[in-house]
Amino acid sequence: MGPMASTLDRPGTPLRLTPASRLRLAAAVGAGRMAATVSRLTGKGSGASIRGQVMTRIDPDALAKLLSGRRIAAVSGTNGKTTTTHLLAAAIRAGLAPARADRIVTNADGANLHYGIASALSQAPTADIAVLETDERVVADMIRLGRPEVLVLLNFSRDQLDRNHEIKKLARSWRDALEAAGEDGPVVVGNAEEPLVVWAAQTAKQVVWVDTASTWQEDATMCPACGAILIRRNPDPASGDPGDWDCPGCDLTEPAASIRVENGQIIDQRGIAHDPQLQVPGGFNVGNAACALAAAQLMGVSTEEALAGMRTVHSPAGRFATATFGTTTARLLLAKNPAGWHEALPLLGTSTVVLAIDAVAADGRDLSWMWDVDYEQLAGKDIIATGPRAQDLAVRLAYAEVPCRVVPDLSEALAGHPDPVDVLSTYTPFQKLRKLGGLA
Amino acid sequence: MTRPVHIVLVYQSLLGIYGDRGNATVLTKRLQWRGIENTLTVAEPGDPLPDDADLYLLGGGEDGAQTTAVRLLTEEGTLHRAAERGSVVFGVCAGYQILGTTFTVGEMDRVMPGLGLLDVSTRRGTTRAVGEVLTRLRPLPGDVSPLAGDDALVTGFENHGGFTTLGADALPLADVEIGIGNGDATRTEGAIQGSVIGTYPHGPVLARNPALADFLLETALGHRLDPLPRPEIDKLRQERIGTIRRSSRG
Ligand SMILES: [Zn+2]
Repeated sequence: MGPMASTLDRPGTPLRLTPASRLRLAAAVGAGRMAATVSRLTGKGSGASIRGQVMTRIDPDALAKLLSGRRIAAVSGTNGKTTTTHLLAAAIRAGLAPARADRIVTNADGANLHYGIASALSQAPTADIAVLETDERVVADMIRLGRPEVLVLLNFSRDQLDRNHEIKKLARSWRDALEAAGEDGPVVVGNAEEPLVVWAAQTAKQVVWVDTASTWQEDATMCPACGAILIRRNPDPASGDPGDWDCPGCDLTEPAASIRVENGQIIDQRGIAHDPQLQVPGGFNVGNAACALAAAQLMGVSTEEALAGMRTVHSPAGRFATATFGTTTARLLLAKNPAGWHEALPLLGTSTVVLAIDAVAADGRDLSWMWDVDYEQLAGKDIIATGPRAQDLAVRLAYAEVPCRVVPDLSEALAGHPDPVDVLSTYTPFQKLRKLGGLA
Repeated sequence: MTRPVHIVLVYQSLLGIYGDRGNATVLTKRLQWRGIENTLTVAEPGDPLPDDADLYLLGGGEDGAQTTAVRLLTEEGTLHRAAERGSVVFGVCAGYQILGTTFTVGEMDRVMPGLGLLDVSTRRGTTRAVGEVLTRLRPLPGDVSPLAGDDALVTGFENHGGFTTLGADALPLADVEIGIGNGDATRTEGAIQGSVIGTYPHGPVLARNPALADFLLETALGHRLDPLPRPEIDKLRQERIGTIRRSSRG
């Protein structure tokens, strides 16, 4: 175990607030609870966001107060943060005595902006360990306000470019926050294959590097430090391994990983291979588990306990869950950007596949990313394109020479399949499908 | 033309963050569907660009990528020779901006030299232009039967912070109906100068606008192409054009 070895038994430091400050927070939490109840009763959703919003209006420091005093492990990155948060929370839970499971709080529903995080924390005032999925845009505030013990940085790829114009700006915000935090900052668990993560984490006090064996490298062309074109050393085309990246212009290079993924196994610091035996599918989830394992170890969980815990995770926030639509049984998969689609398409195992597309704010309003996804691999399957932007997909598939049927209405697209179908969806239709399928 | 039509996708990994590689997919498929032989070269930084191609495509990218691309393309010079001999050079978004004489990068608006193949210059605008855009193609130089009605409409998604001003040698490609486009006072979009063409919309633009795709191919080939009816594209165009017009009224 690393130099920051910790023990899970160590409690958080109880919150010390002045009476006035405490009263204000209590009032905020109470009002937030009421707003969330109203939201739920009126069918407007889980109320996580409105709860956080109301709390923050009454006590602008609510998030900072709710974060302080807890032992925090934060998880961020473009893809996989919800699943990794669930894996990490399960790993830590496995390390706690069953009677102390209430020590842990997590935003399991994926509400990962300021309001969503505040909302989750407000509902567990006594939990002293917080495992928090954190949106990329919130990472800097999380470091500043929450002083996390561990920060997992999974990956950095193009996503919702209509909102995040320059991914490097986000990476810079992480880098600056880590630098400002200095010795009070988190130990970073970083994906060594991601140049932007490596660059951002250069300012961290300590990093545990993980090699996740990712095959997506479209967003790792230029050196984030000096702008030179990165080169690849020792690629292995047979396994799809792009090789280690290295900058010819400066000293930024792929760091040696202490935990790595190899042939679906997680190789730990001592070189021991573990078969993760996860219930969530896909090689990328083995990479996520490797990162979660490293973070769990830093929080004081043993490797064996962590793995045992992660094996209990099956459908984080509805991902990979099986839903029913009338007589149809469907497995729901989520992909939010080209890297996500690249990872998810090979998992589609049924002969009929439903692809659901929208392009409202939560999905990213520009669908051009579809053309970076290799839909050609779907040839031979019976494809149904659904969702408000199904026609955009139909054109993409036409140019891939993969015939499809366009059925814009989600319910109609899912109706009457005699055999199980896999459904792959962007964010907004995914949430609608969870509801329609009785999962949310 | 007896040899295959040769298309080059320039520095996809630098100038390809907005799916603009789809423009290459669209062009090669539209040739293939008509039985016209073609080859596609995906040239990455460090590879020499083929010197004999008919069409060169550049897509969108971030500031840093733009600067690096200009440096590499200036050093190696293929695009300049291509433009001189009349091969088609087609740039989208950042790819459009770097074809110009200057553009600005960073918060400090540092002025960078472009490739100088289009007489346009770009500087940071007052706001960022993000959203669906609808423009109408102007009659293109040398086109004896210019597009009319809805066929001349270009639909796409723009996402750029730079606003572009045309100099005397460049002609506007289109007039803006809805959206920002070049962001200049004349409400134009894109630019054309000889066989060099720049435009802002992604989508990718050629997937959503087959007439523009065929114009590029016809310019490269030097002759007209047969129509290629694709109902799914017509339907998408109707959908996108209808939606943007309705939302701009609301
Ligand atoms: Zn470098």
